[in-house]
Amino acid sequence: MNQAIRDKAKELLASGAVSCVIGYDVGSDGINARPFFAYTEEEADGLAFDQTCTHNLVKYLIDRAGKATAIVVKPCDARALTVLINEKQVKREEVFIIGAVCHGIIESTWGQKGSDLQGRCQTCTQHTPLVYDLLVGEPMAEPTPKAPLDHRAATLANMSVAERAAFWAEQFQRCLRCNACRQVCPGCYCAECFVDQLDPEWVGIRIDLPEKWLWNTIRAFHLAGRCVGCDECQRVCPVNIPLGLLNHKLEEEVATLFDFRPGVKADVPAPLETFKKDEKLGIGE
Amino acid sequence: MSQLISRSDLTAWINALLAEYTVIAPTKVDSLALYQPVKRADDIFMDFGITALSPKEWLFPPTETLFTITTQDGTMKLEAPPLDGKNLIFAIRPCDARGFRLLDKVFLAPPADTHYAQRRQNTTLIGLACSKALPQCFCTSVGGAPNDASDVDVLLTEVEEGYLVNIVTEKGQAAVAQAKLIEKDVTPPSPPNLKPVSTEGIVEATLRAYNDDYWERLADRCTHCNVCAFVCPACYCFDVRDHINQGKTERLRCWDSCQAPGFTRVAGGYTPRPTKGARLRQRFGHKLLYYPQQYGDLLCVGCGRCIASCPVNIDIREVMEDLQKLGVKSVSARA
Ligand code: SF4
Ligand code: SF4
Ligand code: SF4
Ligand code: SF4
Ligand code: SF4
Repeated sequence: MNQAIRDKAKELLASGAVSCVIGYDVGSDGINARPFFAYTEEEADGLAFDQTCTHNLVKYLIDRAGKATAIVVKPCDARALTVLINEKQVKREEVFIIGAVCHGIIESTWGQKGSDLQGRCQTCTQHTPLVYDLLVGEPMAEPTPKAPLDHRAATLANMSVAERAAFWAEQFQRCLRCNACRQVCPGCYCAECFVDQLDPEWVGIRIDLPEKWLWNTIRAFHLAGRCVGCDECQRVCPVNIPLGLLNHKLEEEVATLFDFRPGVKADVPAPLETFKKDEKLGIGE
Repeated sequence: MSQLISRSDLTAWINALLAEYTVIAPTKVDSLALYQPVKRADDIFMDFGITALSPKEWLFPPTETLFTITTQDGTMKLEAPPLDGKNLIFAIRPCDARGFRLLDKVFLAPPADTHYAQRRQNTTLIGLACSKALPQCFCTSVGGAPNDASDVDVLLTEVEEGYLVNIVTEKGQAAVAQAKLIEKDVTPPSPPNLKPVSTEGIVEATLRAYNDDYWERLADRCTHCNVCAFVCPACYCFDVRDHINQGKTERLRCWDSCQAPGFTRVAGGYTPRPTKGARLRQRFGHKLLYYPQQYGDLLCVGCGRCIASCPVNIDIREVMEDLQKLGVKSVSARA
């Protein structure tokens, strides 16, 4: 797999088809992968793919608009890429997609070798990316869907509104308003995010519960029907707020109301970006 | 002879401290260890390795009101916020305590920052020596040590019989007044060994690299997520803004980070640090060049939090190594 990625990367760089290949190499702990930008054939030898390649790299493509780029994607990343292409943030013709067959990513912390699959990977239904120009790895049968593993999802669903609010207040209380969740999210590319806007000032500068609450709920709504469940936001959150629970809930709502899963089909816009006369609104129905 | 406190007497002591101080100590919050105010000794989580966030928020809070202005019957009133009571940070790591030394140089240099100075004055630090080092730790390379008592008021060291109590300052003496200490001949355990990182010539190396492509290459993978600054015991970027609500104006100071794209944006929209590389250079420039030039020490205590928390593995030790090499011969960044 590594050799196939390196060979293709070298070929693309040598021919000038792309000027950069975005993939993974091994991080400073010698265990876990990290994003890697290869600009030369020599650098392409550092490219590698394994079950620690947790990062969703497609957001880097936005900064490389106008420059042909090759990128390594897992199935979830490929869905995020389709979202970005549909939303006209990335041009399909500027990207060479190296799709990696994914056996799931291992839950790990820096400096330690993990062993269990990440929660999102245990319930994932794709091993093979839906879009690619080159597929690396041995294709295999797709897994059957499983219910969400985080027991908190079921617990939350059975709670009263007040109990749920208390749960989230406790979680959001820890939020630092560092915006890391936004910075890594492929769907958060707004030139000026609502939270940074000064006029009008939607959210004040305070790092207190009302602002934290507003931040996390509005961001979740902006991602409804666009979030691909890559869990990058949750992974980078320095205080472990289970943002995935919120995103997953909204993903299911959108799927029920609009029969739509983001990033599955090219050229199908997200429900909240369109308006159809005969569409269910979910209000008073 | 050393002073020793037994485990049960430690609990009694902490409970006594609670009557006099707000005790801030490592607690377990979901799967995280965080410094939080505790209500009883049992709430303290002693086996914490390193907490997810440094305790800097207890001297430099994420949000603080600098002053408020209210208008009543045509008169304007400017008021300072009330002073915090007496705080005690229990089980602070030597590296985090050293972080306060670095913040002191900035906030206490004349004219001193009133709020920071008041909190600093009213806070007692009870240190806990590290019995284990994590793979990301490198305090010994930046002036600290796992058993360094220089920045705490009391240093505790765990031994079989309980904890050795090393009283360092008068504040520490006052804090242990109610502790039942016994004199005993106990040899302190030897501190864990840490892998050294070279910081030789790093100030000059960082200056030499100022215009190097290195920064843009390194910043390729940086997400500018601010996590490194928010978890760091030595970072102190902030933003100041007025909050106006029903005739009351509050001037607020909140945490910020030099990695945020809007951090240096000025009126009219101009940004003097427009590129990812320029922003990342600021992070390391501040830690390895500007702060040392002004205050002598590197702006890093080697706690390793940024290394473990950076989502894309930008490792300050590796950056230092790269910068040292850059001066010698041009190397391509490990971007
Ligand atoms: S909201 Fe989180 S899980 Fe959803 S696409 Fe963004 S980073 Fe991924
Ligand atoms: S939270 Fe909303 S406004 Fe902010 S970047 Fe994300 S999608 Fe855009
Ligand atoms: S990453 Fe976590 S702490 Fe940071 S803003 Fe998002 S939810 Fe809050
Ligand atoms: S934590 Fe890493 S990715 Fe985030 S701003 Fe710092 S260096 Fe960049
Ligand atoms: S720069 Fe990193 S290692 Fe140094 S004190 Fe800050 S968080 Fe700790």
